[in-house]
Amino acid sequence: MSSVRRVAHLTPAYFSPDSYVGGGERYVDYITQAVQGVGGFEQRVFTVGTADGSFERNGFSFRVLGNESSLTGQVNGFSAALWQELPGFDLVHIHQSLTIFGAYSTAIVRSLRIPSVGTDLGGGENTLMLRGRGIELFDGVISISEYARGLLDKSYSGLHEVLVGPVDTSKFSPDPGSARDRSKVLCVSRVVPHKGIDRVIAALPPGLSLTIVGRVYHEPYYELLRRMADGKNVHFVVDADDEKLLQLYRTSGLFVQASTALDIYGNAVAKSELMGLTTLEAMACGLPAVVSNTGSLPELVPDPRFGLVFSGHDQLCTIFGRYSTGLWPENGAGALARAHVINAHSMDAIGNRLTAFYEHVISDHSKQWTQCGS
Amino acid sequence: MRILIVTNLYPPLVIGGYELACSNVAKAMQARGYDVRVLTTWCHLPQTSEMPIWVHRRLDLHWFVPDRPEGTLGERDLHSAICSSYGNTLHLLNSIREFRPDVVSVWNPAGIGGLAMMDLLNQIGVPWTLHLGDRVPIEITETVPRDVLGLFHAQDGSLYERARILSVSQHLLDEIEAVAGITFPHGSDIVAGWADLSDALPHEPYMRGGRARFVAAGGIYPHKGIDLILEASTQLKADNRDFSVDIFGDGDVPRYVDRARSLQVHDRVRFFGPRSQAELVRSYSGYDAFLCPTWERDPFPFAPLEAAGCGTPPIITRNCGTSERLVDGVHCVKIERTVDDLANAMAGVAEGRFDLARIGRAGEQLIRSDFSFDRYLDRIETAFREHARPWRYEAANDPSLPLLAFLKHNLSVSLRFG
Repeated sequence: MSSVRRVAHLTPAYFSPDSYVGGGERYVDYITQAVQGVGGFEQRVFTVGTADGSFERNGFSFRVLGNESSLTGQVNGFSAALWQELPGFDLVHIHQSLTIFGAYSTAIVRSLRIPSVGTDLGGGENTLMLRGRGIELFDGVISISEYARGLLDKSYSGLHEVLVGPVDTSKFSPDPGSARDRSKVLCVSRVVPHKGIDRVIAALPPGLSLTIVGRVYHEPYYELLRRMADGKNVHFVVDADDEKLLQLYRTSGLFVQASTALDIYGNAVAKSELMGLTTLEAMACGLPAVVSNTGSLPELVPDPRFGLVFSGHDQLCTIFGRYSTGLWPENGAGALARAHVINAHSMDAIGNRLTAFYEHVISDHSKQWTQCGS
Repeated sequence: MRILIVTNLYPPLVIGGYELACSNVAKAMQARGYDVRVLTTWCHLPQTSEMPIWVHRRLDLHWFVPDRPEGTLGERDLHSAICSSYGNTLHLLNSIREFRPDVVSVWNPAGIGGLAMMDLLNQIGVPWTLHLGDRVPIEITETVPRDVLGLFHAQDGSLYERARILSVSQHLLDEIEAVAGITFPHGSDIVAGWADLSDALPHEPYMRGGRARFVAAGGIYPHKGIDLILEASTQLKADNRDFSVDIFGDGDVPRYVDRARSLQVHDRVRFFGPRSQAELVRSYSGYDAFLCPTWERDPFPFAPLEAAGCGTPPIITRNCGTSERLVDGVHCVKIERTVDDLANAMAGVAEGRFDLARIGRAGEQLIRSDFSFDRYLDRIETAFREHARPWRYEAANDPSLPLLAFLKHNLSVSLRFG
């Protein structure tokens, strides 16, 4: 690569209380950091808000474009100012690509003939992009898990890469000075039914404690969990900050993620767990993990030495039993988990693979348009 | 040079002179040796002569269907007419792929989903011209929601940046700027209309037998000033002027026949229905003045130019498009668009206040020297030649273009109608 590549990231919201604090927005933050770590790329994040503006954060340039959509909802915002803002970029990465935001942005980016990459972060399932095959307008697609890739395979036939992560493994790391309590099971997720926290409480045996970390987004479910926890050693931490969360990762003995496609109320949940980032963060901190067979979760724990998958109550009870009695995992599981995350999901690993993919897309696009005569 | 002409209406389906002009230009360019193809809409009328094979009637017409009852245009029809008609966009793409034009000449794209079609031309990068005979950019800006305009890069004048603009009048360009805020940064050519005088006859003596003979020709609609003509005639009759008015054209004729009767001027004002251009030109020699009290924003009525070329002075609305080519008192008589002003001018003719012969001669001289069809065609040909430049036909073969147009079309519908 002989010169600096200019990459624009388009996202309907950015990770901030001023915009939205969600996994999708955090993902964009992480991706830009991962690319920055590789070097050779100049990046700018474009998003929509109530008014035009620009700001810098952590060394990155953010451009907020006034929302022109009359539709409500974060992922339904868009701006035609992209026509003026994007010329000159070598590649545009459109996040939340299966939303109105994604469709509108795709139409403009493709019209400008700038190489484009799309990523579904679970914000929508826009019919025009999927069944209408608008997704085929992307020069490349990044899926955040094999599971996510499988959801798009019927609709997309172009370059497709799976990048699970990235995780900041320098931040999410074990602390040799902190003692672990092996009896302490940690569950980190928003308190909503499809996270399946009820399944963990139901299977929790005597002798193990459970700490549930996450904001409450569903009060009736929270009430239900508290009733189920009665008589068991269960703690809720609903207002943990990053520091507190890290401390819990470093002092717990086991991580559990029990998301489900059919919640306790009988509701089916689409695209549950496109990527279980908290599982990877826990493993990066040296925690063995137990995950449900939902969405992307099984692919996060490819080695039974540090991760197991359960499909129902009985299996989870069995795993808890083996864990309580010391049958699983063997010593060194935490180090194996961390090594796996560093190797496959770290900033460096993802940054290198993502920038290689960007280069591939730019090169293919250039060949294609040379053939098309532009 | 291969020229692809895209337009909404084409003879025999016409509203006025603009469609005839398009047809005449197409035929004349063909006669000059250019390879011409016309992409236009269906025609339900029986066609008296065989349509040339280079006229492709593949487009659907969502608006401006002549003689369709008023009030039947729904919001979705309007969207298809002005913003995007996916089928028509694909037909344009296919025509470009098949024909490989050196230049695409867009005439009136209203009624056929012109916004998406012009956007497609920009995507492909084919050189194109826009022949402004009416306020199409305003129609687009006023009828398409802003968020949808953004999808096609049309919130400002960006849509037209790559086009060479040919306008029938400065008045029209001024109106587009004043109403829609759209200017054309690369300039525009004023290519006014013309008069084909090959069928013209020497003018007969003016005011034969002391009678003032007026003529009008065009659409029989309020905006063309038919009501004004009838009311002014009422005044003249009340003043015992010796005059007659013959009105040629199609439109709301029965209503105006009744109106003339109710105003008691049916003995002075007669409606004759439509006539061919040649018949009209032959008839003008027998009249003393041509009445054209059209609405101020009429971009360029052709008929008064033809009448002037036949020595029949036009009495014409002061600030319509054609007026900017004629000098008041020299080639025509300009009026404010009021009954009183029109009646005063008609009375002036009847009283002999105007030197009709002098004005008639000056008009004839001007039209024959400056507004010949050949001269008009030369200017259009020059514009085509200057704007046509090499472009890579393969760009039109990008297999994703139909998909991009599909996404834009359906997104525009979805944003507008939910």
